[in-house]
Amino acid sequence: MCDINRRGFMVGCSAAIAGLAGSRFNTLAFAQSGGVAASETMVVIFLRGGIDGLSLIPPIGGTDRGHYETARPGLQIPLTGPDAALALEGQFGLHPGAAPLLDLYQNGDLAFVTATGLTEATRSHFDSMEFMELGTPGIKTTPTGWLTRHLQTSAGLPPEIIMPSLAMGDLQQASLRGDRDTVNLVDPDIFAFTTGPWRWRPAQRASLRRMYGADDSVLHVTGTKALDALDIVELFVTDDYTPANGAAYPSTDFGEHLSVIAQMIKLDLGLHVATLDLGGWDTHDSQSYWIPILIDDLSRSLNAFYTDLNGAGATNYTDRLTVVVMSEFGRRFVQNNDDGTDHGHGNLMMVLGGNVNGGQIHGTWPGLAPGQLFEGLDLAVTTDYRQVLSEILIRRLGNNRIGDIFPCYGDYSPLGIVSGLDLPPDYGACSSLFSDGFETGTSAAWHYSLPL
Amino acid sequence: MRSSNRVDLPLPAAPSGMPTPASVGVIALNRMAFGPAAGDLAAFNALAGDDDSRLQAYVDQQLNPAGINDAAADARIASSGFSTLDKTLPQLWADHVVADPPWETRIRPVVETQLATFIRAVYSRRQLFEVLVEFWHDHFSVFGWEFYEAPAWVHYDRDVIRAHTLGNFRQLLEANAKSTDMLIYLDNWVSSQDGPNENYAREVMELHTLGAGGYFGTIPRSSVPDGPGGVKAGFVEEDVFSVARCLTGWSLSADPYWDLDSGNGTYLYRANWHDNSAKNVLGVDLPANQPAEKDGQDVLDILANHPTTARHICYKLCRRLIGDFPPDSVVDTAAAVFLAQSSAPDQIARVVRTILLSNEFRTTWGSKVKRPFEIVASAMRAGTMNFLFSEFDDDTGTFEWLYYNTGQRLFGWHPPNGYPDVGEAWVSSGPRVMSWRLTNWLVDVRDDFDTYRLDAFTQTPPGVRSANDLADYWIDRILGRPMSVSDRQEVVDLMAQGFNPTFDLPLDTDSDLRERLQSMVGLIFMSPEFLWR
Repeated sequence: MCDINRRGFMVGCSAAIAGLAGSRFNTLAFAQSGGVAASETMVVIFLRGGIDGLSLIPPIGGTDRGHYETARPGLQIPLTGPDAALALEGQFGLHPGAAPLLDLYQNGDLAFVTATGLTEATRSHFDSMEFMELGTPGIKTTPTGWLTRHLQTSAGLPPEIIMPSLAMGDLQQASLRGDRDTVNLVDPDIFAFTTGPWRWRPAQRASLRRMYGADDSVLHVTGTKALDALDIVELFVTDDYTPANGAAYPSTDFGEHLSVIAQMIKLDLGLHVATLDLGGWDTHDSQSYWIPILIDDLSRSLNAFYTDLNGAGATNYTDRLTVVVMSEFGRRFVQNNDDGTDHGHGNLMMVLGGNVNGGQIHGTWPGLAPGQLFEGLDLAVTTDYRQVLSEILIRRLGNNRIGDIFPCYGDYSPLGIVSGLDLPPDYGACSSLFSDGFETGTSAAWHYSLPL
Repeated sequence: MRSSNRVDLPLPAAPSGMPTPASVGVIALNRMAFGPAAGDLAAFNALAGDDDSRLQAYVDQQLNPAGINDAAADARIASSGFSTLDKTLPQLWADHVVADPPWETRIRPVVETQLATFIRAVYSRRQLFEVLVEFWHDHFSVFGWEFYEAPAWVHYDRDVIRAHTLGNFRQLLEANAKSTDMLIYLDNWVSSQDGPNENYAREVMELHTLGAGGYFGTIPRSSVPDGPGGVKAGFVEEDVFSVARCLTGWSLSADPYWDLDSGNGTYLYRANWHDNSAKNVLGVDLPANQPAEKDGQDVLDILANHPTTARHICYKLCRRLIGDFPPDSVVDTAAAVFLAQSSAPDQIARVVRTILLSNEFRTTWGSKVKRPFEIVASAMRAGTMNFLFSEFDDDTGTFEWLYYNTGQRLFGWHPPNGYPDVGEAWVSSGPRVMSWRLTNWLVDVRDDFDTYRLDAFTQTPPGVRSANDLADYWIDRILGRPMSVSDRQEVVDLMAQGFNPTFDLPLDTDSDLRERLQSMVGLIFMSPEFLWR
């Protein structure tokens, strides 16, 4: 075990991690090392399955309301009655189950961006998710995710961080693909070396450090990182986390994952990027049953997370927090015959944080008239999802290496979703990266073949 | 922790640290089986005088599962107290849906299928069959732990997946299209001409047949290049819409139609729900008013016999059986067999045989890593673990919980694309640490008589008592090949604890030493070498 108390010294622990233990409560060090951006945390939430954005912020006025009611006879959010839409802004309302989001919106911390998405024309879940998370629309063989490349190219980060990135969930998200410094876990309480005959656990763990440290294959490198992750959780994370400011997380996986992220932020381990998912949005049927449940989980969890981190003075973490919520696509404008909606195109994004220009809906609304729909079927995409993420990267995280993070994306301009310092985007060279770097790397890292 | 030597360019880690090359026997037992059980390598080597003949004999043997006596695994299943595995679909529906039993009874069919799957992976001698059952479950992935999916799970596993695992792909595809679980999971059971549901129609092309590589997006069908026989090379959105219409009316028994509890769970074609208009699928005209089911049957014919499907299925089979990035050569060879044998009742077996007897199969090693299911199955096989997978055994509950946390719960992947089958998806700290937890628990759990369920001492020959010998015996037993010198030394050192590793240890009289031996075996299970395939 990484055992400090019983033996008086660390057995099996990474000495480097132990050495950093003393410096962790020093946000100033980050600020001096890399400027404000280095102490920022970005949380990326992916709503798997394709959320029906038109249920979360439905049109409540204008001609689009008429189109909406025609297209969604059984699924529309009504204007009156107990389930009526909440007023949001102008022609748009908010799902009645999303009241916890309305609080954040009205406080100016939450913004929506409408009609975002991939400019690639695909209605495939799996293509869309890979394109978005790898940051290379049209290409799925990219061996690293967009967040991986952000972490690799960010000039503002200090050279050593205890936990630069955290992937909540069974598996590491594709946006962090290939990142070997990420801690991936579901529940810190069971992320521990606490099985097997206890007497020999420290010796096993010390042996594993040497075994995995003896070579540099993907398996060895990731094994060492898994041992580091065990050390980190054991050294820093306590079992009994109490949320602050009266925050009440729902007892859902999503709520619990967000509470773990909040705990890690407060521990000052240098957490710069965190990823997590909320699935179940592929509502081809029974949408009127599922959407309220999902929106309730999303809304209450986000509200609890923000409340938890939104204390005063030294307990305020939201001034260096940006949460972005995205999904692979929106859903078909016209509902199907099964109380559901099929795959569509344009969708909303949400951005939450202390430096968000919230309380407003950003982006360009393309309209819902037949001639305004993408292929006559779906909400159109007027804002490339990369534009939203690039603004957060530049203005909040201080990283302008857009060409590395989103290769071949070249027409960034800020929408004004967040405040921060503008840097000229560095688009790099589009084609050479792909021909030299990406395509060949994938198999080379893994493939091993004896001479035939 | 973040290392200080950051790179500026977004390049992946350089290839290095490759594993020790393995013998053909080790390759076969790790990739067409869930790892070698005690005696498996010796049996493989005794099949013939040279590796080529041994592999051929082993492949022939494994592709004829009915010819393999599997009484031991059958007996374990028979004695586990299962009550649902022999029920017909209508019985399952009556007992676990219509009767509206408590949740634990409702999902018993998927619980018991899960436990039986573990039993077979660990104890069955029909190992290739089990490997391919897992493959098809991933390929036709359905989330099984759901309200209406769980009760019929025995049927899905037994009558759909297992019944066709080595059979004909077209028949497998149709059985799948008409299966209770797939009809419900991807919504086709409610799809009617009034508003076709596109869910299954899209995934049957993108996931089950043509593959994402055959998806041309939203361009007009006329812009897709022609393939052989005037069939388009792939599908576009128009095809998703038209296939959805072709499959309208492929539904389930129920009256009223929306109340699944009023039916018996079986497939029902609803002619009055079917869209009878003329359609075009991948460039093929389907006339209006075809006979019952004909539109859908035509779609399955077009898809099952399409060269893009052949390549997609064979690519995935090669990725499962050979490596994460299989060479084109073997994929193309297998795809040619897939197409040439499209009518053969044993089409899949012939394709698999082609792959397993390829040069690529026997010469590739370490291009795959074990997923959690393979980690746990291979550890239990190597250690001849005596484990009762039964709902009535407390240790099974602990096992299920520990296994659940590895991230590969059986039939537990929510989206329809199945668990990822490339190493990159499984190397993060979550599955790694959770797998370590599970295998280290396996070497520590004891039965009611305080005997280790994976009892290393009683399986160690009497003459093997020094730390050196114990390490070498168990490394060979578990891996069938040597470890690196430094890794072996770690295993020796754990056992020796500073004493002379050539001295015999009094295991027979010292239970603390036997406990140390358990941990030494556990260390091998957690080592990097154990994870290569």
